[in-house]
Amino acid sequence: MITDAQRFQPFSEEPIRLIDQSGAWLGAFPCDLDDATLHAMYRHLVLARAVDERLVLLQRLGKISFTASAAGHEAAQVGTAHALRVGRDWIFPYYRDTALAIAVGWPLVELFGQMMGTRADAARGRQMPAHPGSRDLRIFTVASPIASHLPAATGTAIAQKLAGAGDATVCTFGDGATSEGDWHAALNFAGAQGAPIVFVCENNRYAISVDLRHQTGSDGLAVKAHAYGMPGYLVDGMDLLACYYVMRSLLEAARDGLGPALVEMTVYRYGPHSSADDDSVYRDPAEVAAWRERDPIVRFRRFLTARGGWDEAAERELRAAVTRTVDEAVEAAEAAGPVPVEWLFDDVSSRPTPQLERQRERFRAARRAAGEDVAD
Amino acid sequence: MALQTYVQTIARTLMEEMRRDERVVLLGQDVGRRGGVFLATEHLFDAFGPDRVIDTPLSEAAIIGAAVGMAVHGLRPVAEIQFADYVFPGFDQLVSQAAKLRYRSGGAFTAPMVVRMPAGGGVKGGHHHSQNPEAHFVHTPGLQVVYPSTPSDARGCLQTAVRGDDPVVFLEPKRLYRASKEEVPRDVDQLLPVGVGVRRREGDDVVLVSYGASMRETLQAAEALAQQGIAADVIDLRWLMPWDQALVLERVAAVGRVVLVSEAPHSGSMLSEVAATIAEEVLDMLEAPPLRVSGFDTPYPYAQDRAYLPGPNRILYAVQQVLDY
Ligand SMILES: Cc1ncc(C[n+]2csc(CCOP(=O)(O)OP(=O)(O)O)c2C)c(N)n1
Repeated sequence: MITDAQRFQPFSEEPIRLIDQSGAWLGAFPCDLDDATLHAMYRHLVLARAVDERLVLLQRLGKISFTASAAGHEAAQVGTAHALRVGRDWIFPYYRDTALAIAVGWPLVELFGQMMGTRADAARGRQMPAHPGSRDLRIFTVASPIASHLPAATGTAIAQKLAGAGDATVCTFGDGATSEGDWHAALNFAGAQGAPIVFVCENNRYAISVDLRHQTGSDGLAVKAHAYGMPGYLVDGMDLLACYYVMRSLLEAARDGLGPALVEMTVYRYGPHSSADDDSVYRDPAEVAAWRERDPIVRFRRFLTARGGWDEAAERELRAAVTRTVDEAVEAAEAAGPVPVEWLFDDVSSRPTPQLERQRERFRAARRAAGEDVAD
Repeated sequence: MALQTYVQTIARTLMEEMRRDERVVLLGQDVGRRGGVFLATEHLFDAFGPDRVIDTPLSEAAIIGAAVGMAVHGLRPVAEIQFADYVFPGFDQLVSQAAKLRYRSGGAFTAPMVVRMPAGGGVKGGHHHSQNPEAHFVHTPGLQVVYPSTPSDARGCLQTAVRGDDPVVFLEPKRLYRASKEEVPRDVDQLLPVGVGVRRREGDDVVLVSYGASMRETLQAAEALAQQGIAADVIDLRWLMPWDQALVLERVAAVGRVVLVSEAPHSGSMLSEVAATIAEEVLDMLEAPPLRVSGFDTPYPYAQDRAYLPGPNRILYAVQQVLDY
């Protein structure tokens, strides 16, 4: 049950914040989470950062072709993940949501398998890195075209409403996504239907090089909710518990039939847009440094320490365990081996077309004629 | 003359066109300060400022639709779509507005504009960074479509496109952006006429027809054939709509054997159009059926990025078949 004190004010001027920079609790209600839950949240933050750093390294080593770092977004994503009922609620993420996927339990071997395109990838090596998906976890497989997943998320939420089982949907995206027509189509339809969905904007103020000023004339993004008949919340996205409690209350409201909401979480991406980007062309290093000062992981650790029950020894143990976990996952994902060439022909439709069958035959014949091994 | 890459040539040509005609404006995602994610608009923001090099919101519908409106008001917009794969949110503007404006207004309004987009695979980008969507545009009356394969061709075709009177879909083979280098003339007009292709090699044993990024593998295959004593005539279409029917039919009628190469999916493709035209017009001159070597009827895969492309081996296999027929 969410108490009234835990409900939040929509359309606030200042971002909703529950822990300050020093780790002190600011909430008007007591934090009702037990140690095990708080420590699990912290572990997810640390694990997500470690995975992120490993991905950057693997990209530099040429083992993966691309990364889109989530560093700086972790609190928003982990807070959101913990507010979900995993396996029941649906998640429609975007490519930067590695921490979200990790925190809802996407197996790390699958994660690295997806990134490397090996047999460890549940999606059979079909997509470029940073495109999670999982049927068991109800993670709608990421598609690269920005905002193209939003209308589908609305549809799933409408279906949940019709099913009447009290499930809800979370759909995440960046600030740039709010400019696409699909974004507006999805919010408008969700508003008209009162669908149980929370739209989450991870606002890092840049869409590659384009800053928010050039993205929209609007003063902030949460305010856009107003026109679609839903509340909009501005949240400090580097405050894990603010993200968690806002999401928890909005998902409960959605389950209770109170309809959709939009949440703008203010975050920052520490790295370039992706491994293919050079952000020095458009961002002042001083700005990056200033945001790093507000690091969500450091802030949450201070909160845990101040609360008691977290110390240097616990920290050391966690870090060592995380490194081991990541090492093992990378090794297993790589050892799974490359996907067979002919897998490229599968899963196009429920049954291969005669046209595709013929193309596959000709492909095999050409490979054989060139002396290639077509056994795989 | 120094060597210039494909992508440098695009930036350089845009610079020249913008100096020549102040009605030329650029718009797209990251085309300003960033100079484009591939640097196809590098230095232009510094040279011409934010009024002529416009960083747009993340909306392809806004980019292409606004270009139509700018064109109607007398500007000469050159829009960039960051990847051809992302043209689809702007597809309606291209197909319903740009392509049909002249026709539906009885010629009162026109949309002289260029929509540039990097296309094609082989860059480990998966299916949303590798597609070749040219067939959609070829199938849309009112659009011109061009897919130049070399830096100098890109320059000549871009000059023609910017100065023309119709909406042009300008596809650029991103796989060759840096890989393809040439000595490219500067500051002289070198317009390559709409609908005119070019013979890249002369030969009497088989005709190879291709365009865009696949020209590279097609020429490699021709070279390999030459080693075996087989002379291939190689045609680079350059323009896909209108395309150089006269050149293709003349060479195919003379040689009697033809293999068509493109990395776009097989069914309903540009190659299907060329093959059907050959069958309609010069069937009695053929020694063998025209064969297509193409991508497959699948989304572009990630892990098998290279296998999907019609490489020299698949081209040679098809050539052998038409020779043995
Ligand atoms: C429809 C579409 N257009 C363009 C792109 C190319 N692109 C990839 S990411 C990106 C910027 C996205 O910015 P934002 O939505 O703010 O998310 P962020 O990456 O900052 O988290 C662009 C333009 C795309 N993926 N899809």
